[in-house]
Amino acid sequence: MSKSFYVGIDVGSSATKCVLLRADSRIICCSMAPSGFSYKDSVAAALESVLCQADATREDIAACVSTGYGRKLASIADRQVTELSCHARGAREWYPQVRHIIDIGGQDTKVIRLNDHGQMADYRMNAKCAAGTGTFLESIAAKLGLPLCKVDALAMLSSSDTVVNSYCTVFAGTEVIERIREGQPQEDIAMGLFRSIASRIREMMPARSGEVSATGGVVAHCPAMVRALEEALETTILLPPKPQHAGAYGAALLAQTTIDVGRRAETHASRR
Amino acid sequence: MRSTVKRVEIEARKQLRAIVRAYFLSLDEAARDPARRVAWCTSVGPCEILRAFGFEVYFPENHGALLGARKVSHQYIPRAVAAGYCAESCSYMTSDIGSAIAGYSPLTDAFGIAGPPRPDLLTYNTNQCREVQEWWSFFGKRYDVDVLGITPPPHLGTVAPHHIAFVRMELEKLVATIEKRFGLQLDYDRLGEVVALSSRASRLWCQVLDTCRSHPSPFTFFDGLVHMSPVILMRGTQTAVDYYELLLEEMNSRVAQGVAAVANERFRIYWEGMPVWPRMRDLSDHFFDLGAAVLASTYCNSWAFDEFSGGDPLTWMAKTSTEIFINRDEAYKQRFLRTMFHRFDIDGAVFHNARTCPNNTNSRFGMAQRLRDECNIPILVIDGDLSDVRFFSSAQTMTNIEAFIEQLEERIR
Repeated sequence: MSKSFYVGIDVGSSATKCVLLRADSRIICCSMAPSGFSYKDSVAAALESVLCQADATREDIAACVSTGYGRKLASIADRQVTELSCHARGAREWYPQVRHIIDIGGQDTKVIRLNDHGQMADYRMNAKCAAGTGTFLESIAAKLGLPLCKVDALAMLSSSDTVVNSYCTVFAGTEVIERIREGQPQEDIAMGLFRSIASRIREMMPARSGEVSATGGVVAHCPAMVRALEEALETTILLPPKPQHAGAYGAALLAQTTIDVGRRAETHASRR
Repeated sequence: MRSTVKRVEIEARKQLRAIVRAYFLSLDEAARDPARRVAWCTSVGPCEILRAFGFEVYFPENHGALLGARKVSHQYIPRAVAAGYCAESCSYMTSDIGSAIAGYSPLTDAFGIAGPPRPDLLTYNTNQCREVQEWWSFFGKRYDVDVLGITPPPHLGTVAPHHIAFVRMELEKLVATIEKRFGLQLDYDRLGEVVALSSRASRLWCQVLDTCRSHPSPFTFFDGLVHMSPVILMRGTQTAVDYYELLLEEMNSRVAQGVAAVANERFRIYWEGMPVWPRMRDLSDHFFDLGAAVLASTYCNSWAFDEFSGGDPLTWMAKTSTEIFINRDEAYKQRFLRTMFHRFDIDGAVFHNARTCPNNTNSRFGMAQRLRDECNIPILVIDGDLSDVRFFSSAQTMTNIEAFIEQLEERIR
């Protein structure tokens, strides 16, 4: 077999995602492995999984781009690109008309704005704090002794407009306990948690502009998160086919880029 | 990826080390000599008056920056918090007060001296922030010495003659109080000489910063953080003037030879706001590896004062200390930044949102967005702090910076 596959690896704080792409940009297969203690091991596991599914070997990889917080530990990568650029690239491929992308990851939340050429015009990340991230939800779910999917299922039953107001994860935990003590329905409290995240994200959106695409593990597994975002942003949230693999998909698409960015930038410098 | 290209070291740095060392040793000796007097002063405070009176001048903000650069601030801030200072108030102040309570000083490791010199007088100027007043009050009580301050009108759009007259009056009052308290008489000719030296050093520093207009830039913001020491610590002395003549000569020579501070300079970046002292080396390396020269800043320009062309030295002091960027309104600051972006041919700007320094943070009222739209350049806002590393996420900031460079790369495609 010739070198015909392009690989994108997103080494995130919770999971490592891998996408194998054909030259025509079609996704062949995807994989996911817990990032755990060793990013190197998780990269190897996610990569071997896609190669196994495609009945291919590392020799068949034409190019690989890594992204995510552990991107520098993926030694197989030809190039490292930040998750902001990769999510922008992935979402743009799926929804060319979209100008805003929200990625809710385990460690951070990003809002990316694209210009009319599909380039990253602006972006914002949450401040150094768990509020507004997947970790916020996981932490509160753990406090309630429920898996996150159960919190989500409960939230979907809510019909009230309850919001958990605290920014801080610890204070939010205290607020949840207060509401339990007050006898508020569990489904409303659960929905309030998702609204808390949506409210943080609303602050990061510079302007409302049509449909918004959302990616990341939280929206992939929690319909309540999508509902809360649609309420807060008063728009339709477009969920791509593989929300959690959007970064890896964007990385694989960037692996196909044949133009040498570095060389072009040098040309820019020499023109001045 | 880590660049394999090495930096070209600045030769003048050897001289810098020697004069900074001599400055601190002299301060230490002065504090132990009953015949000499030491005054503490804010970084853009009335140091020329103090020098003209014969005081040795020490700058506590420099100590705050040293605590930050040595990555120990967070160990001492809790001591100040326990004493009643909010953890989100100026981390220069809280780390400095905390280190004093704990009996630690980075000056011991650096210069073998016990710590900051015992003061005979504390003076401040609130032109930069009100926090200095409380900070100085703590030490005033601790050492049982006078705390004297200058309080110019803040947030000025235009600096009018009556503003300068008011500050001049405060300076006169300061002079009179010192004369009475210490039984001294100010020699106005000597004050004129000190002000002339102060202005001369400042103009030379400004010329050094201006060499960064060259392509490639011979000097960066990160270099500036090291080499600005004399214009703060030794302002009003011949030593500072001599040093900047030496540094300017080296920078001019670099420009003539095309020596770049950042090898393969691809992008030219402006830094707005305070440095992140505990992470400056990491940030400097990161930008260097990305081929991005952070070559101009508001911060290093804080000590770029007007020429003193004779006349009344008190008026010059009143004018220069009131006109500084930090003491101006939003509209002035926006105009200043726009001019700087243009002057240095900037591709993008980084605004540092310093958690404990709202006064020297300009991303809190939409200015970054306004300038981005007005100047059509990407602007990145990073969250952090000048000294308290607990407010700074390294991984998040480094990713933000890389994404920013990717954004700049996309613009030239």
